[in-house]
Amino acid sequence: MFKSTNVTARIFERQIHTPAPGTSVHCARRFYENMVPSFTIYDIECPDHSFRKFTDDGQYLISFSRNHQDLIVYRPTWLSFSCKEEDCSTHDLPPQAKRFESFFTQLYCVTLASCNELICKDFFLSMENNQFGLFATSTAQIHDAPANGGAIQGVPFIEKITFHLLRLEDGVVLDEKVFHNDFINLAHNMGVFLYDDLLAIVSLRYQTIHILQVGDSGKLVDVRAIGSFCREDDELFLISNSQWTETSDSSRLHPLPGAHVENGSQHNRINQDDSFLTGIKQRLLSFIFRGIWNEETDQTLRFQCLKKKFYFHFQDYVDLIIWKVQFLDRHHLLIKFGSVDGGVSRNVDNHPAFFAVYNMETTEVVAFYQNSADELYFLFEQFCDHFHATSRNSLHLNFISSHSNNVHALEQLKSIKNKTGSFPQFVKKMLASLPFGCQSQSPSPYFDQSLFRYDEKLISATDRHRQSTDHPIKFISRRQPHTLKFKIKPGPEAGTVDGRTKRISSFLFHPFLPLALSIQQTLFLQPSVVNIHIRR
Amino acid sequence: MVRIIVDMNSSGAGGSGGGGASTSWVSTTSVSSSGKRIHREMAELNMEPPPDCSAGPKGDNLYNWVATVIGPAGTPYQGGIFFLDITFPSDYPFKPPKVVFKTRIYHCNVDSAGNISLDILKDNWSPALTITKVLLAIRLMFTNPNLHNPSVPGIAHLYLADRTKHDQLALEWTLRFAK
Repeated sequence: MFKSTNVTARIFERQIHTPAPGTSVHCARRFYENMVPSFTIYDIECPDHSFRKFTDDGQYLISFSRNHQDLIVYRPTWLSFSCKEEDCSTHDLPPQAKRFESFFTQLYCVTLASCNELICKDFFLSMENNQFGLFATSTAQIHDAPANGGAIQGVPFIEKITFHLLRLEDGVVLDEKVFHNDFINLAHNMGVFLYDDLLAIVSLRYQTIHILQVGDSGKLVDVRAIGSFCREDDELFLISNSQWTETSDSSRLHPLPGAHVENGSQHNRINQDDSFLTGIKQRLLSFIFRGIWNEETDQTLRFQCLKKKFYFHFQDYVDLIIWKVQFLDRHHLLIKFGSVDGGVSRNVDNHPAFFAVYNMETTEVVAFYQNSADELYFLFEQFCDHFHATSRNSLHLNFISSHSNNVHALEQLKSIKNKTGSFPQFVKKMLASLPFGCQSQSPSPYFDQSLFRYDEKLISATDRHRQSTDHPIKFISRRQPHTLKFKIKPGPEAGTVDGRTKRISSFLFHPFLPLALSIQQTLFLQPSVVNIHIRR
Repeated sequence: MVRIIVDMNSSGAGGSGGGGASTSWVSTTSVSSSGKRIHREMAELNMEPPPDCSAGPKGDNLYNWVATVIGPAGTPYQGGIFFLDITFPSDYPFKPPKVVFKTRIYHCNVDSAGNISLDILKDNWSPALTITKVLLAIRLMFTNPNLHNPSVPGIAHLYLADRTKHDQLALEWTLRFAK
């Protein structure tokens, strides 16, 4: 049936027509085709901050000062002005529309950095109810650091990393968690994952997944550390039992740690001298072993199989390190393992990688795949949304397009699949996105692929900096007659004079309002050009 | 000690000749007498593996093995998967292999670093013994600990004084560290 895209016709239609069961939200979202941020205010007068993102409830705009010292939080407001003349809609906007303050009200400015720590501007997580925000500050990264005290070789080193839990309403810092002499990948929230109130922080250097819980009162509570040990009291159990296992060599006896509760120095206190497998590796290896053992019942064949598939690769498995972690639900973690080189470098294509599903309550490995496994790819293709561990309460986060919930995205995936020459290569490429980053996608309806079509090379829901072109980015309606709905053009209105300078753009879309910021930067330390895109 | 090195290239490379062919195969599974012996033991283990046990070389290094012992049923170690490192000396079988637990275990014959106090791996080693026999002895250790020569006297003492407590602890260790 032909449906008009005219907004009046749609409102009339809404009055007389009940949408099919379960599609009321989809129907309501169609109005976004009529309400688009098609008006651009170029190069607004704007404080020189780095703008991070809108929180998912649209209440706050997070930004950091250029010197990476302060957090500045704004409340998005709407430009309002009065017009005395007739025919206001064609009238030019008043001069104050060129000002950032007309759209955003500063709520507070807090200094998070201290001593030689700076704010990591690529890191920010907000709690589901948006009551709290998590920020990180750190000292500079040292690359050729010696591996001591149980640390693994080849991983960089940061003297101090501090996570700050802040009440977004008034900017009060409620709690902090400090990691010393560690390495946590903070860029794009890589090393940290938040699910409901559970926080997983991956210490690359000490190969530990720290699970923390954010209390209602804003306290960060250590729940468990997965790595050397699996259960939260394993280490304590071992220490309290050491009287039985102690040999005559008393030097092995380590005193109980005192009030020192930070990570790092006391890590692997027990395994420093010996060479036992870590808890997580024991679980992983025994899972692989049992799989092969049970698969083959004939004794000779079983033996051959174990020799080829297990013992031959034993050391490779032992040498694997945890790269990245995400929650699948409150109990299950999806852990990516790989070689030391791949954990730090950006180009991970050539490194073998493995995925394990680990139940942290039963401390069992549930599944294990190589990154070329067809089986995992098919799960990924069909049930992609299960990997996106979204919060339970936030409705609009369920509408982020993926190839499992959107036919257009699926078509796109299939066309890439058909274009790729080798299927195993394609599988590896696709699985490289797992585990998913936390809160890395904008829930803005303008990225909903059932509403709009746009060039994903230039812009997408994924929060990334992109190389800028002088051409505006077109958003075209998915519905017939596929009209151009709006354009987003970063940078100055007239384009840039110097065509050779590399320009980088980032886009911040409000989660539900027709409001977006585009920020264009040249690689040099010039102030950025910020455009506001609104519906006029 | 005499080592017999067989030049595999002379027979394998055949007509290709020239110096380039000789670098094409650097044999890591060297064919010294110890290597031959380990090969033979691997074949023997392959034919008749002891129950709940298996082993194989780590990578392509014939002298470095990993063994797995599944905790025997009816013991507190049941359900555990125990990994062991086996290192053969270059003068094997004249010296015993070095066997170390890679999985934590609560056992009076295994110290806190994973070393095993088994007489056949020390003074009572004989070149007539094989890796199959060593694995059998280790498996026997799970069911019948050697209480007269323990490396952790505390555990042996508890085993004798309060067997239930001992088994309970051993089970707890298995669940925590060997699953």
